[in-house]
Amino acid sequence: MSVALALPTRRVEEWKYSDLAHALGEAGFGDETARVTIGAPPAGIEIFALDEPNRPDWIAAHYGKLRGNPVSAISLAKARGGIALRVPKGRKIADALSLEFSGNGHARALLVLEEGAELTLLERVGPETRNSGLEIVIGPHARLDHVRISPAADAVQVEEISVKLARDATYHGHFANFGARLSRTELEIAVEGEGAEVELSGVSVLSGERHADVTTHVAHDAGHTRSTQLFKKVLGGRTRAVYQGRVTVAHGANGSDSRQSAKALLLGDRAEADLQPELEIFADDVKCAHGAAVGDLDADSLFYLRARGIPEQEARHLLIHAFLEDAVDGIADMTLRETVRGAVAAALVAVTA
Amino acid sequence: MSSAALETKDTVASLGEKYKYGFVTDIEMERAPKGLSEETVRYISAKKGEPDWMLEWRLGAFRRWLAMKEPKWARVHYPPIDYQDAYYYAAPKNTPKKQSLDEVDPKLLETYNKLGIPLSEQMALAGVAVDAVFDSVSVATTFKEKLNEAGVIFCPISEAIRDYPELVKKYLGTVVPVTDNFFATLNSAVFSDGTFVYVPKGVRCPMELSTYFRINASETGQFERTLIVADEGSYVSYLEGCTAPKRDENQLHAAVVELVALDDAEIKYSTVQNWYPGDENGLGGIYNFVTKRGDCRGDRSKISWTQVETGSAITWKYPSCILRGDDSIGEFYSIAIANNFQQADTGTKMIHLGRNTRSRIISKGISAGKAQNTYRGLVSVYGKAENARNFTQCDSLLIGAECGAHTVPYIESRNPSARIEHEATTSKIAEDQLFYCLQRGLGQEEAVALIVNGFCKEVLQQLPMEFAVEAQKLVGISLEGSVG
Repeated sequence: MSVALALPTRRVEEWKYSDLAHALGEAGFGDETARVTIGAPPAGIEIFALDEPNRPDWIAAHYGKLRGNPVSAISLAKARGGIALRVPKGRKIADALSLEFSGNGHARALLVLEEGAELTLLERVGPETRNSGLEIVIGPHARLDHVRISPAADAVQVEEISVKLARDATYHGHFANFGARLSRTELEIAVEGEGAEVELSGVSVLSGERHADVTTHVAHDAGHTRSTQLFKKVLGGRTRAVYQGRVTVAHGANGSDSRQSAKALLLGDRAEADLQPELEIFADDVKCAHGAAVGDLDADSLFYLRARGIPEQEARHLLIHAFLEDAVDGIADMTLRETVRGAVAAALVAVTA
Repeated sequence: MSSAALETKDTVASLGEKYKYGFVTDIEMERAPKGLSEETVRYISAKKGEPDWMLEWRLGAFRRWLAMKEPKWARVHYPPIDYQDAYYYAAPKNTPKKQSLDEVDPKLLETYNKLGIPLSEQMALAGVAVDAVFDSVSVATTFKEKLNEAGVIFCPISEAIRDYPELVKKYLGTVVPVTDNFFATLNSAVFSDGTFVYVPKGVRCPMELSTYFRINASETGQFERTLIVADEGSYVSYLEGCTAPKRDENQLHAAVVELVALDDAEIKYSTVQNWYPGDENGLGGIYNFVTKRGDCRGDRSKISWTQVETGSAITWKYPSCILRGDDSIGEFYSIAIANNFQQADTGTKMIHLGRNTRSRIISKGISAGKAQNTYRGLVSVYGKAENARNFTQCDSLLIGAECGAHTVPYIESRNPSARIEHEATTSKIAEDQLFYCLQRGLGQEEAVALIVNGFCKEVLQQLPMEFAVEAQKLVGISLEGSVG
């Protein structure tokens, strides 16, 4: 496979708010392979190390097959090893599976849910400089609840998550992001089966000089599919949050319904929010909407609370929490929801201090 | 397809007549030699009797243009343009400029009458002053005297370069720099005519000003240049209209419009763009690559763009506002209709630099047939733009399963006190809306016209009265033969 290994600069339109080549310098991501580990796996999940020989057919069928960006192609070319997981047909796993990317370098993982399977995935990432790629294949009627928490880091982190959904499959992804020197989360979602449903949500809480870029592409390739996106950002200091969300509805994908919302609260004097919600529609029987807003806290709401005797500082905290909670309360798993809330509360202390 | 949708198709098809401006005026023309070179630039400059500084300006632009690449980022597709295979100057013989309309070639007057643009005395009733640009030259400007009384300068830009060189030098190229982009630089080198408006301090321009651009000659490009300066505390409303004959060839139109509003000044700029869009098989039509930009240079200034874009095979156009002065206001109201094989990529940029600057964007895109319609916009708030405000609404309407509607907004905020809101929707004509109208006894034809005009209403309202009625009709006509 021939791969163009050049890293994108901000002169590349898709990377204009995240100059990866500049952030990494000459060294790039290097040639190392980062680690992918999983916690105690719940019963019923098949695990395969990608550096072992004789890959089974299901890996051959799905590994490295999804639509990806040039940076993802680099991790595919350079990562040696990684992990592949499969939830067999009809298997519904009650306990959450935890998966962690750590160390420097390139990393790959593959997760396959066969027909009717169900899984909750908690993804964690270490604070090192890394280029990771996670491919997720969701079979007919299968469902994946995915929560990713990336703690504040000073490294350069790029992760591409590509997801393919078959007929009536469901994918719910939440991405709690606390920024890095440069952080890019790219979600490439191919909605290929009729009746499939995608819900993406996320919060970015940034302090200091951190950066967090969430770039999504939801492709409605089949009709009667539904997708929603809700991303909230709170920016302190000299931080920068980016949301580039593209929804495409292919020719003939009638009955597609897509909603997209991105909102940013600018609290820091030198903070910057760049939002780009994009629609590409090639079918007529569709309902697509997007909204975006940037601003400070609503003065009326603040006044309302203060008029009821709540001190300004506290009122501001309440409103910021409420603003973010909107994107958090959709997390289905109660334990994970609490984990995200805890991480958000901790990060907010640094922003509002 | 449901029966209601089929009926919609028939109704829309029967709504309008064919492109009624597709005729050609048979008049003897004088052209520059075909192709583009320094010689062409010198030829145009000499024809216009320009001073040396203008020629140097053009040549500088031409040399820069040679090193530039045609932009490819827009969602428009067309075969490569051979810039050597066109005439860059074409003028009806028997110019120069007439002192009164009686001296203008009757064929030209007839042409403008056919276009519904009365250059003669009936204009007095309409109360609109007109500059008529035919291919590369301005053929008539009306009401100059009345405007002169008020101190307003309204004349072809070629005349302004000769008569008001200081004003032109001071403002030309200050909003759209010579090297701004490929098409603007090309225009700077070869622009032939266009309109110059200067409204002095504190003057409210006594009438609407307008320019009608007509491409007539074949194998030509039209490159007009418009410069409007509103001095402190003045107000001017300007409209432009564009038409071209029906031809199988594609013709290039690359205009540049610069607006400058000083302290407390207001400019209202309206466009009804109805260049020939090509036939239902995508043959022919105008390539419309236009750079329009307004500079709210003074405090409390205001620039408002309203555009109804129904013509052209390809539209590439982003009328923008630089909100430099404190408390300045920028507005963009747009209807873009693309039918058959038309491709439109249009939108705006609102650059907030000053404090308390406000902007408003209302964009309505309608796609039908096999057309592609893109809204592309930027709202950028810089660090010093305290309390900047923006509201953007862009809606797309799809008629038929073969067309596309796209929305590409960029939002950049660097000031915590700024507030930016953006909303967009994409949908088709709702069957329940149609049903509702039919059920209340409206004919299919009226129902569709009503719904589409309702969809565009917020923008149509912004047009000066004389244009609003015309534009409403145009909305129906442009959708002729749609739904596939």
